[in-house]
Amino acid sequence: MNRIRFGILLWVVLLVAVALVAEAHHASVMFDSTKEITLEGTVKEFQYTNPHSWLLVDVTNKDGSVTTWGFEAEGPSTLMQRKIRPSDFPFGTKVTITGNPMKDGRPGAAWVKAVRGDGKVFYPRGQASQQSQ
Amino acid sequence: MTCLGKFCALLLILTTSSAVAAQDQTQAQWQRMFELGLKHRTASDLYTALKSDAHGGQQSPPFAQLPDWSGLWLASGGSSFFDRGPGGVSPKLSPAAADAVKKGRELEAAGITYDENLSDCGPPGFPRWLIIPFLREFIVRPEQTWLSSETVNNVRRIYTDGRGHPPPEDRYPLYYGDSLGFWDGQKLVIHTNQLMKRSMGRNQPEQSEQMETVEIWEKIDRRTIEAKVWIYDPAVYLEPWYLTRRYMQVDNPDKSLRMNYWHCSENPNNQVYKTPEGGTQYRDFTFTNKENR
Repeated sequence: MNRIRFGILLWVVLLVAVALVAEAHHASVMFDSTKEITLEGTVKEFQYTNPHSWLLVDVTNKDGSVTTWGFEAEGPSTLMQRKIRPSDFPFGTKVTITGNPMKDGRPGAAWVKAVRGDGKVFYPRGQASQQSQ
Repeated sequence: MTCLGKFCALLLILTTSSAVAAQDQTQAQWQRMFELGLKHRTASDLYTALKSDAHGGQQSPPFAQLPDWSGLWLASGGSSFFDRGPGGVSPKLSPAAADAVKKGRELEAAGITYDENLSDCGPPGFPRWLIIPFLREFIVRPEQTWLSSETVNNVRRIYTDGRGHPPPEDRYPLYYGDSLGFWDGQKLVIHTNQLMKRSMGRNQPEQSEQMETVEIWEKIDRRTIEAKVWIYDPAVYLEPWYLTRRYMQVDNPDKSLRMNYWHCSENPNNQVYKTPEGGTQYRDFTFTNKENR
């Protein structure tokens, strides 16, 4: 039984190790990974760039004003592997988007998940990342 | 217990038993390779011994004898520079490196991290190159092999045409060092020197210009390339350290995935700076108004 426990522990350690490999070009300490925000809005621009991409979303506030939020993801090659292409988020696309907000209160977040108006779901950091939140 | 339950339990036992057996084998192999490093005083000595074992190895072998490392690859794990190896053996660090590791872990725990090399798209350098993420391409030719990585557009050139390193009096520090090698069948054996003094990673110790490495690269199955790596650097390790790194081929059936050029100024929203505390923070965003900056 100890061998079984050790085997299970080993797989857990390996999975964590693989997750830790995914470090970006800079640290992500500016985002609060313990919190999530979910906002509804329309796509203003999809900056599909290296080393990081940004999905800019216009969100209408309660007072009627509009704030542009930026949701950060990895660069094009990672997004391509997650089946997210530039054409997936054209200007004006309705989206419900979830992310880890910036600690300093600016309207930015690490992009975790997006549900497009037609119901299609996107996970720029992989589905496992969303499930571990 | 239902039949399904018994089947699941049996499957779990078989899976974990084979995993443990494989792990035992991995530990034994790791230990052998680690001890091989200890037998040789310098990386150059180890490289010479491996070359002798390979009866001189092959320089500029015909294309037909070279392995197929085509496709796109991602780092998929392995052991690390400062953590225990699979056999439970820890690297013997110099006092300065041990202090740096301890301090680095404290900073990480406090959320204070800045990447001195990558945040401004500077080169990760070698041996950090072994562990960085994102796409890689390996271009194998008889006279040289290019080990390239998307992260900040780098290429390691491994000369296999029989040339030697520059003479000691003409050596100068390089981000990726000077690498030459030979082929031992389907294995590429590499010796690297002329490395630069710089950080080995975020909140990690500095390597010195004395660092030299030996690597053995081999495709171990259809989708996996493994690198066995010995690191010699008296400023960091009191005895040579050994680690393995693996690279997994990426699915790309429609060939739409490609490696592209990186530049941190491509999108101003990616520009970061080092805070007075030593952390990382974004500069002003283009998408926010003055009140939100």
